[in-house]
Amino acid sequence: MQSTEFFFGVRDMVLEEWVNAIFNTYPFQTTGFLRTSKDPFANPVADMTREAASTVYEAVSGWDKKPSEVRQAIDRFIHLRAVQDFLPSQAMLVFYLLKPILRKHVMPAMQKAGKLKDYLDAESRLDTIVLLGFDMYTKSREVVAQNRINEIKNQHAQLVRWAQRVGGAPQLDEGQS
Amino acid sequence: MAKLPTPQELVANRPAFPAEAWLETKPKFVPGSYCYPAKKETMEALHMPHPHEWDPAADDWQLPENWEKILCDAFEDRLKKHRSLKLFMDICVRCGACADKCQFFLGTNDPKNMPVLRAELLRSLYRRDYSMLGKILGKKIGARSWDYQTVKELFFYAYQCTECRRCSLFCPYGIDTAEITAIVRELLHEVGLGLHWIMDPVKNCSYTGNHLGIKPHSYVEIVEMLADDCEDIVGVRPKTPFNERGHEILFICPSGDVFADPGIYTFMGYLILFNELDLDYTLSTYASEGGNFGSFVSFNMAKKLNAKMYEEAQRLGCKWILGGECGHMWRVINQYMDTYNGPTPSNMTTPVSPYTGTVFKNAASTKMVHIAEFEADLIRHNKLKLDPSRNDDLICTWHDSCNPARGMGLLDEPRYVLKHVVNHFYEMPENTIREQTFCCGAGSGLNTEEIMELRMRSGMPRGNALRYVQQKYGVNRMACCCAIDRATLPPLADYWAPGVTISGLTELVANALVCKGEHKRTVNLRQEDLPHLDEEEPEGNEGE
Ligand code: SF4
Ligand code: SF4
Repeated sequence: MQSTEFFFGVRDMVLEEWVNAIFNTYPFQTTGFLRTSKDPFANPVADMTREAASTVYEAVSGWDKKPSEVRQAIDRFIHLRAVQDFLPSQAMLVFYLLKPILRKHVMPAMQKAGKLKDYLDAESRLDTIVLLGFDMYTKSREVVAQNRINEIKNQHAQLVRWAQRVGGAPQLDEGQS
Repeated sequence: MAKLPTPQELVANRPAFPAEAWLETKPKFVPGSYCYPAKKETMEALHMPHPHEWDPAADDWQLPENWEKILCDAFEDRLKKHRSLKLFMDICVRCGACADKCQFFLGTNDPKNMPVLRAELLRSLYRRDYSMLGKILGKKIGARSWDYQTVKELFFYAYQCTECRRCSLFCPYGIDTAEITAIVRELLHEVGLGLHWIMDPVKNCSYTGNHLGIKPHSYVEIVEMLADDCEDIVGVRPKTPFNERGHEILFICPSGDVFADPGIYTFMGYLILFNELDLDYTLSTYASEGGNFGSFVSFNMAKKLNAKMYEEAQRLGCKWILGGECGHMWRVINQYMDTYNGPTPSNMTTPVSPYTGTVFKNAASTKMVHIAEFEADLIRHNKLKLDPSRNDDLICTWHDSCNPARGMGLLDEPRYVLKHVVNHFYEMPENTIREQTFCCGAGSGLNTEEIMELRMRSGMPRGNALRYVQQKYGVNRMACCCAIDRATLPPLADYWAPGVTISGLTELVANALVCKGEHKRTVNLRQEDLPHLDEEEPEGNEGE
């Protein structure tokens, strides 16, 4: 039996447990709603979480996934966690919540079949994904900071231009007006 | 050996939120979750009650000593004044239909951002004082008394509601949580609690007529500068009539269109369109603001700021008012203006389009026509020569801004216009547009940069739908007819769907509009190259 098969036999169960563990990082009253509705627009948080979880699971299992595919799949999810009320560690640790679930449902069988090294490789792939995600998390935070600056500039854009015209303010560089 | 926490332990400190004790869980005022308070001088200048310095993150908000009495009395007063409020307090059956409809709930996952609980914050106080059971049973039936924490909580959640009214669409009783939020904000003002981002524009409007407090001469000069830009682009300099008496129409738009990017392109669009039509109109430096941040403060403040529209129409002898692409301005006009400032001055008459003869009966009482209605009517009667291929670089979608869409039912006119001025148009998913549209997440005076992070989560449902059409159809432009949206959607798009830009409707109209005497158009209003420049000239488009 190939290593990936150990993962795919329990895919739905592991994913469900993991996704629920992620939902549990939100206040109790919210968890029920996140579980019930599947509409991607009426319940975007659940949709983003499921999208990220299933691709990450496949990548961890050892399916052929390019980093760009993984990035694409976790993009919305990371953007969301990055602006919700979490510490950076809390925002990112949801990926690691997969590990104990894998150790419960996948590791014993693989160990028995003498494939412990393959299992550990899978966990390492998860570590790599978390690092990819961390880059994206940081980038998201930078976009928020940059947007604050852009917004202040945009609000008064014409006023600044006018002030420069009438000579009351220092000129910006050529072509920057 | 010191023990490091596991990931499970790191996340274990999620707020415990047991159902029976939701009233006990208090908000945390961390930077990024609250807006800066209004300055004392601003509040003094506006004669607001109890002006004072305070800090939302501090324990003590420096409320007046008898704050509890002030709030109880004010609440009682509002209950008497607004029967709707009393009704909303009484009839909610907590069915939960509204619970997951609010973008603040969807983005923050904070249960108190469910509209039903947002309203419940006030209702719990109502229950104690106005229901017999509440007086006897108190907390057991969700009644509680005013305390300092309650005030903080009301503030926290009244400014995490954009008064967008999406929730009321789904409520079987039509309970309008936006109205409850508006009243909570009014109450908080009684003890001197307001936002800088709202009160500063209100002060500026009171003193100079517009949000930024730009004086008349500078206002005119900035508009002249934009007219110069129009001339560079079109080859014809549009007229900029200011404060002229005896014109048929007074034009009023949000001042954001004059000062802010990318709103200015919409303003240039107005100038170009009116010039092409040779519209008999004037602008005003007194009524230089359609937006009304007073409507985020109190009914009285909204009324005061709105009064200048009719005053100016009377002074200048205009028959009717054409209104630009603003959001909450139209909520005020459509819902409140008659009561606030009506009846209209006697020189005003029911608006009739000078080009098509269409009588805008819908505006018979307010005498104000929305520019999208006006444009749609012109296009319907073939009065504009349009070349939509000039917008061929754009794949557009339409964002229904809450106030014009849900507030006044302006759903089809802007789409009709848009489809005539662009060749590529795609709708966002059905449950995110028209009446069900998702708010930009920063309306009602929450479009301030210090809560950018909060805005990114409250705007997530809109951003998410935008991203969907971006990936599916390659959408790269979201148009809307609201100045606050033109300010708040660019960062939202940058965050959730980078590569999508934002514009008003009339910018796209003016791009496509073939004007009399124009030179060969090579750039759009943003001074970007037009598409198809290197291709054969389509016949007969030039300079007729
Ligand atoms: S939908 Fe209406 S009745 Fe139902 S909980 Fe919400 S506000 Fe109350
Ligand atoms: S009015 Fe809008 S922001 Fe306020 S509670 Fe309802 S849905 Fe939420």
